[in-house]
Amino acid sequence: MNKTLNITWLYPDLLNLHGDRGNIMAFERIGKKMGLDVNVNRVDTFSQPIDFENSDIIFMNAGELKSVKSVVENIKKYGNAIYDFIESGKPVIAIGTTGAVMIDKTIRSDGSVIEGLGVIHAEATERKAIYGDDLHFCLNEDKDFELMAVQIHLIDFTLKDKKDALGTLIYGKGNNDNDMTEGGKYKNAIFTNALGPVFVKNPWYTEKIINEALKAKGETPAEPVEESFYSLERNSFKAIHSFIKQKTE
Amino acid sequence: MKKMKFLLALWIGKALMLFCNLFAKGRGTNMPGANSNRIMPDFIGQFTGIDTDKVVFITGTNGKSTANNMVVHALKNAGKTVCSNLEGANMIGGIATALIRNSTLFGKVKTEYFSFEIDERSLEHIYKHIPASKICITNLQKDQVQRNGEPDYIVQKFRKVFNPNVTLFLNDGEPRAKSFEDLTEKVVYYGVSKTKYSFVKDKFYDVTMPCPKCNDKIVFDYYNVDNVGKFHCSGCGFSSEDKVDFYAENVEFSDHSSFDCNGFRFTVTNNEPFYIFNYALCIAVCNSFGISNKELQKGFLNFKNIGGRMETLKYKTKTLKYIRIKQENPETLQTALDYIAKDPNEKILMMGLEELKDFEPYYTNTFYAFDVDFESLKNYNIKKYICFSEAVAYDTANRMIYAGINPDDIAVLPNDSDEAILSELDKTDIDNVYLITWLKKYNELEKSTQQYNKGEN
Repeated sequence: MNKTLNITWLYPDLLNLHGDRGNIMAFERIGKKMGLDVNVNRVDTFSQPIDFENSDIIFMNAGELKSVKSVVENIKKYGNAIYDFIESGKPVIAIGTTGAVMIDKTIRSDGSVIEGLGVIHAEATERKAIYGDDLHFCLNEDKDFELMAVQIHLIDFTLKDKKDALGTLIYGKGNNDNDMTEGGKYKNAIFTNALGPVFVKNPWYTEKIINEALKAKGETPAEPVEESFYSLERNSFKAIHSFIKQKTE
Repeated sequence: MKKMKFLLALWIGKALMLFCNLFAKGRGTNMPGANSNRIMPDFIGQFTGIDTDKVVFITGTNGKSTANNMVVHALKNAGKTVCSNLEGANMIGGIATALIRNSTLFGKVKTEYFSFEIDERSLEHIYKHIPASKICITNLQKDQVQRNGEPDYIVQKFRKVFNPNVTLFLNDGEPRAKSFEDLTEKVVYYGVSKTKYSFVKDKFYDVTMPCPKCNDKIVFDYYNVDNVGKFHCSGCGFSSEDKVDFYAENVEFSDHSSFDCNGFRFTVTNNEPFYIFNYALCIAVCNSFGISNKELQKGFLNFKNIGGRMETLKYKTKTLKYIRIKQENPETLQTALDYIAKDPNEKILMMGLEELKDFEPYYTNTFYAFDVDFESLKNYNIKKYICFSEAVAYDTANRMIYAGINPDDIAVLPNDSDEAILSELDKTDIDNVYLITWLKKYNELEKSTQQYNKGEN
């Protein structure tokens, strides 16, 4: 009997900005390739309940900044459920601007403040100008583990402690203009600026997160996916790496 | 002093326009006005003879050029004089150029009506100088994310502009456009009823959008084009109107499509669903200017859109049908794929979603392809897919693989040289070819195929 992976896809219609439904498709595709039975459970509206008990990964894609407040308020309705989920080591992933859900607070350009869940200690400030570029970074936990993505930057994130970063920039803007950090991480709760969709472009990272989810539920890692399965993505990585090199030379 | 400065800016603009007409055709739609604006930042506000009751601004993500072309054509056909930026220069330089072209040496505009297509980001600035009494919003969609980030960025900009003095012409089937109804009591809704091309999205990975009023989920009962249709919010009840002021109904599609609007049967020459929205908007605007339906009908029969989205190239025995899309704009990519779907014959699809190089930093975004339904391509009798571009051909191919397309049918060309693309095309014996790429690449391919054809002859 196959192991099961239950993914809760929070608010697919509300957090639907940069083709990030592809991230969920990637988890389904890679999970199946790893020999798992993958169930994706959509939570479409605020009135629909979130089943924390039967989730192995909770996923929030990039959405408009105005949606952050409603998302935070709805998750908070469940009391400590999200915090307990994170403490158990299960992955919670927030993409792009939705990273504001995971941090302490975001200050909008009109001065208003959006409170976050405070899972990762950071603040964000809405930028005057939007910035879009490629994004290349390595994970802080493994400097040889590189990810390629793009980023559309509407808010600057500043981590209270740089050690809480998900990764270190190789090329791009990452969290802000200053400190070479990218994203944030607490246990397996992650926010990242990486779009692409990032889990389509970097399936090796998808595989890693799935194994973290299995570990958190007390199971052994799944069989590794053959490297040849990722040949398109590896070629894409190399092609974009060359493209970035041309920009920086 | 201010008048002197204006006249100086105007005369320089007119001189530059003359120069462009003689020596630099193609640059005359924006450059003269842009320079005049540089000399005097409130230049466009200094012209005389503009009755703001006869000024209409048409803005939105998609369809504004076509709608503007249509309105101008209809007004002119009814014998009115119109100042417009028909060439698509839709920022302040383009508006200024149009005013320079249509004014006397002393800055008095000679036309009675003004219809301008306005870039969404420029609306606030232009409205400050020319407070149009009528503003049309076609739709607000994901577009050019490197500049606009998210649709709400434009929504917030628009909210600063709209006020109770403005009459808003709003697309009833597009939630973001319709949400501006709260800002004035003078609202005119336009739309299209269900047609034979209307569709529903009910697959697992289909997604809609957040409600612009309460952020809960928008549900579409059906779509007429992507992200436009009959809708309601699952949270606050915000929805399409039960009665739309200018509603195209009983639409019949053919070479001469027809529809009813307020009791009048219109016959038109364009047969794509998105055109019907533009016709409904055009009727709404022109009726408000006192143009009768009978006069409009005459104009519709000889309307030809400027800068259409479809071109055809010949290469050896092959016919390449180029469908232009806007960069980083999922709706126009979806419309292109929907167009291909209507051709039942076997075909090749060449897709060059290239790197974005409009301004720095150049980058490799292709994520908008995941907003588009590639899954249906499997049903379109496409025998081979050719994905080309220097850096993102693999990502394009991967989108197709995620859509369930057989990898054996996909050729990946990590190169966008014309020679490589045409030589890949030579490998197939199918002559029916569709091409989707940026306009720049199309222009290059057009030259290469023309050169080849000359050599053959």
